[in-house]
Amino acid sequence: MLPGTLDRSPPPFFRQGTSARTKLVLFSTLALGLMVADARWGVVAPLRTAVASVLLPVQRAALAPAEVWRGLARRFEALDAAQRTAAQARQALAAQALAQSQVAQLRLENDRLRELLALQASTVPRSHAAQVLYEAADPYARRVVIDRGTTQGIRPGSPVIVQAGVLGQVTRVHPLSAEVTLLTDRQAAIAVLNARTGARSAAFGGVDPGMELRYVTGEIDVQAGDLMTTSGLDGVFPPGLPVARVASVERRPRSGFARILLEPQARADGVRHVLVLDPAETTERSVPKTPGAGP
Amino acid sequence: MPRTPDVLLLPANPWFIGFTLVAAWLLNMLPLGQHGARPDLLAVVLVFWNVHQPRRVGVGWAFLFGLLMDVHEGALLGQHALAYTLLSYTAITVHRRLLWFGPAGQTLQVLPLFLLATAASALVRLALDGMWPGWWLLAAPVIETLLWAPVRAVLLAPQRRPPDPDATRPL
Repeated sequence: MLPGTLDRSPPPFFRQGTSARTKLVLFSTLALGLMVADARWGVVAPLRTAVASVLLPVQRAALAPAEVWRGLARRFEALDAAQRTAAQARQALAAQALAQSQVAQLRLENDRLRELLALQASTVPRSHAAQVLYEAADPYARRVVIDRGTTQGIRPGSPVIVQAGVLGQVTRVHPLSAEVTLLTDRQAAIAVLNARTGARSAAFGGVDPGMELRYVTGEIDVQAGDLMTTSGLDGVFPPGLPVARVASVERRPRSGFARILLEPQARADGVRHVLVLDPAETTERSVPKTPGAGP
Repeated sequence: MPRTPDVLLLPANPWFIGFTLVAAWLLNMLPLGQHGARPDLLAVVLVFWNVHQPRRVGVGWAFLFGLLMDVHEGALLGQHALAYTLLSYTAITVHRRLLWFGPAGQTLQVLPLFLLATAASALVRLALDGMWPGWWLLAAPVIETLLWAPVRAVLLAPQRRPPDPDATRPL
């Protein structure tokens, strides 16, 4: 037998190091402590941020193959897709031309009415364009990670929207990335308004098609297909953004409540570009209030 | 000494151990979307090295990789760390027995390990957040168990090469 060619070596008699059981106790306690600190006290944010900053280059490296694959796939579809998109855009433009002229007129009218009623002018929140890096694989939550963070001025709580409507809300911010909790997450909730009837309610995530309306009585006027928009009552989302469509209404005469399932307008799969708005409250606060305007 | 065909193996290269762990970690981070049944390749590779090189890859490394996965997934900080710690400890506990078996026998014996790790993280989430991601979760340890034999074949391959007498010649 040649020396240095055999994997097995007798275990050392004396210097065995810390035993696996000691390490188990040590690290399990540490892990449990971290979890409690994270879930209950929220004091481990600096640690998470530090690890996230170190992790970001590695994550980017792991994302590279996906980017290459997507680029290749896009190259093959590019021309076809571009023509289709251009045609769609032209159609949309034509359809919007009419709406555009109406909007201008309506805005004028709205401004005049607001002046008449001495209401504060509604502000357009500041926004940041961002790209979705990846969808978090955690099966317990519905989150995506975007490539903008505190360095770019993203703040926790900011609403995130896409073309189709509201996507979610920023829940964790790192220096160069941020986590967006989607509306379909179990812990997500949003104040909505039925665009047809004007009835306000609250939508919660975490059910099968996406979201549900909770705490509404059985005789409320809701039909499948109704559009739910943000009501702005939560002080976070600006009012009027599309959120979801009613997928099904099941009235339960015995409990007195209705089970109303919603289908979100913005789907997370395949989303690449999002817009992060500043939270409505902070934008309002930054607008100087005119003294004596309120009652 | 085990009676399996793996009696005579070359020593494991520490660089290869590190490389495979990092590669499995990167594969885990590939953006493949979210599914409860997605197998955790890093857990399989960690268990493999815990079983074959318990003095090199121990509970501490498992804990560290767990923290990294937690931050990547945006999960509760410590959830993966606890699961990997338990996984690594049980792997080290059974490592002498496991090496007496062939690939099929080993596959049967690692199933409880992966089930334990999945159950630990599910229980933690259930206790702290009250969240249950669905029964698909149980498919993940089964897939990880099925991955054991191929992963073992790949990771043992460098140690199964014939020894090179020139590398260790005294002169």
